[in-house]
Amino acid sequence: MATSNGYGSISSTSLATAQPQPSGDSSDNVIRTKILLVGLRKSGKTSIYETLFNDCDPKQTFYLDTSTRITRHTYDTAIPLEIWDCPGIIAPETLGGQLSQFSSLIFVIDIQNLLQEPIAKLVDWVAAVYRYNPLMNLEVFVHKADVLTEDYKWDAFRTIQSRVNDEIQETSEEYEQISVNFSLTSIYDHSLHESFSKVLQKLMDTMPAYEELINVFCANSQSSKAFLCDIKSRLYLATDASPVDTQDYGLCADYLQMLNSFGPLYRSATASPPRHRTVGALHSPPPELSNPASPIVPLSAISSASQTPKVQVFPIPSTSPTPPTRSSSSASNPQPEASTGRQQKLKNLFYPSASTSLLPSSSSARTLTYYLITPHLALLTLLPTSVFEDKRGLVEYNVVFLREGVQEIYEVEDELRRGG
Amino acid sequence: MGASGSGKTSMRSLIFSNNPASLTSRLGATIDVEQNHVRFLGDLILNLWDCGGQDAFMDSYLSTQQSTIFSHVGVLIYVFEVMSQNMQKDLEYYTDCLKALRKYSPEASVFLLVHKMDLVRAPQRRTVLDKKMRELKQVSGEMAVTLFGTSIYDETLYKAWSNIVHTLIPNVSILTKHLTTLADACSATEVVLFERTTFLVIATSAPPPTTTEPPQPISPPTVPSPNTSEGSTSSHRNAFSGSSTPFGPTSRTTSPPPPPVTSPLSSSTLDFSDDQSVTQDANGDPTPSDPHQLDATRYERTSELIKAFKHTCARVRDEFHTLEMELADFTAVLDELTKNTYVLVVVHNPTIETAALRMNIRLARKKFEEIQGDNVVA
Repeated sequence: MATSNGYGSISSTSLATAQPQPSGDSSDNVIRTKILLVGLRKSGKTSIYETLFNDCDPKQTFYLDTSTRITRHTYDTAIPLEIWDCPGIIAPETLGGQLSQFSSLIFVIDIQNLLQEPIAKLVDWVAAVYRYNPLMNLEVFVHKADVLTEDYKWDAFRTIQSRVNDEIQETSEEYEQISVNFSLTSIYDHSLHESFSKVLQKLMDTMPAYEELINVFCANSQSSKAFLCDIKSRLYLATDASPVDTQDYGLCADYLQMLNSFGPLYRSATASPPRHRTVGALHSPPPELSNPASPIVPLSAISSASQTPKVQVFPIPSTSPTPPTRSSSSASNPQPEASTGRQQKLKNLFYPSASTSLLPSSSSARTLTYYLITPHLALLTLLPTSVFEDKRGLVEYNVVFLREGVQEIYEVEDELRRGG
Repeated sequence: MGASGSGKTSMRSLIFSNNPASLTSRLGATIDVEQNHVRFLGDLILNLWDCGGQDAFMDSYLSTQQSTIFSHVGVLIYVFEVMSQNMQKDLEYYTDCLKALRKYSPEASVFLLVHKMDLVRAPQRRTVLDKKMRELKQVSGEMAVTLFGTSIYDETLYKAWSNIVHTLIPNVSILTKHLTTLADACSATEVVLFERTTFLVIATSAPPPTTTEPPQPISPPTVPSPNTSEGSTSSHRNAFSGSSTPFGPTSRTTSPPPPPVTSPLSSSTLDFSDDQSVTQDANGDPTPSDPHQLDATRYERTSELIKAFKHTCARVRDEFHTLEMELADFTAVLDELTKNTYVLVVVHNPTIETAALRMNIRLARKKFEEIQGDNVVA
């Protein structure tokens, strides 16, 4: 069920012992933010991971096997993450001192399990956290909320919350310093995505910077709401300062999911062009993404539009009668160096975008727009349709600046984590 | 028709009433026959008879109500559950219904849906479905039946129903022809026509005669075309390098010409392509099958995705209107064409802007409304 659409890199290593390898061993030498996922058996930890990060359909999680080992998953988004999915039987002592390398701990409780057991376990973890890593974020997901109706849901939630707090207090007064956040979640709606998004945002140092960028964008484009989302998981990493309406977020997340599913449907084996027009050093070879064997014809010499430094690339799978008249760029042997990005800073000029106009019901008509920002992130905004139709060029102009800002911030963070 | 609990009313609710799949569990048993009048494509009205499947009802259909139920039937859709408890009984009822149908409406077409396929684990689905299909074909005797495996939780249901209504639409070939003209005008790979409420596929454009190359510019400049720039670029793509075409390098007209002119149009395109046969061959093998190798399930998946998204929008109390996207692999515009249909234009040429596609759609609207206006149900 793991799908890789070229955007996120996901790798999972299952470890035989309960002693997971320390982080310095990770294959790409990047400092990763670590999240620990714990809870009792059958509370839903692995299904949370699978639904969010592995494109698993919520109904298919029924068929997941019980985890037996600690599984380390890596996931790349605005920040590189490492998520440890622990089976229910793991006790805090097993990890011991390693707890200090984690930034966040998520404890999953099944909402129907109102017995003492999960709460006792939680208190054990709180104790361990207090001992090894008092600064860690402790989150509690009261999961499987879809099972109960609205009223019972919130009742059970409040019950669990108060019982946990009582228990913590009783065990030791010092533990009160540890702040615990509770959220009500379910894989069948967007509550899980929202809660996990908030967890992620706390872990991102760069989040305020992204937020600022988005605020400026929203102010200037009259957008009512904007989310910077991770494409694969549909979590939002930053948004503007206005309060988040769950329904708006749900709409954006569903839109993103639809666009993700739509992409592969009409992908053509022969005619889908790599649309990467690039601006960079002259004579730099264009990035090659498909058909490496076919000769590439830079058509800017022939094209009527005057676009001097840009090179448009179409993969024509045959020889063209007119050889390229300009540029020493080797038509037959393009180097994919551009993808490593460091040596030649080629600026991509094409980014996918989409927009959907919605008809008004109560308030004015809105348009939902999607702009790709980096290969992992996309900007989803809700704009008034009148603004979008009249001033689309300006809005997209603003998006360009937002994009550059986000990319710069991302690059700085990336450099830092790679051991700069 | 079908056994009790086989999923007939859920199907109807999903496709025609726009309820999401998750809410179908709330539907109760159908008592006797429920009739739905569904307005399809403006003038076509589908009279859907959802017959309760419980034994008492089935017995009455086959005895006292036989002539009421089985006369004047256009299509019989019989639903079987893939994991049926009592297949023998189902088959008995089915053969009886088939006999009655042959007696009262011999011209009716028969579709068999093997439903709830999601209950079968994915790897075994193909084998289970094949086995069921063989069984059903055998039972049906010499009656020509079309079989589909379906589930309300994925796109297979849309595929089956699109096929079913496709047979009911009287002028599919005209629609296809006009959609192909629209596809040509937009330099599109494909144009798909959907019905507005159910989002079932009504017709699609025919794939281009040779390869994927955008078609040649044609002369009658009755309407200034927004495609001028990409017309020239795309023709240059064929490496004509400035050679003048027999028709002149001017605009493409977007309003499809009235029918008498259409045939010269298509024949001239063909002649033209014969002249330039060198280029055509050079552009790769002109396979008769789909050179793009687009996903075979794309139509029904599109129906499913858009329907699901429409439903999400409805939940936020906003109504879905149009959609346009410029993705890495293609550009597409989904817009309303007439008051009952939506059109999806898919383009693989990266130089074409969505605004141009929208304009073409706008200009084609009048023609399509005309076609549908002439569409009278027999």
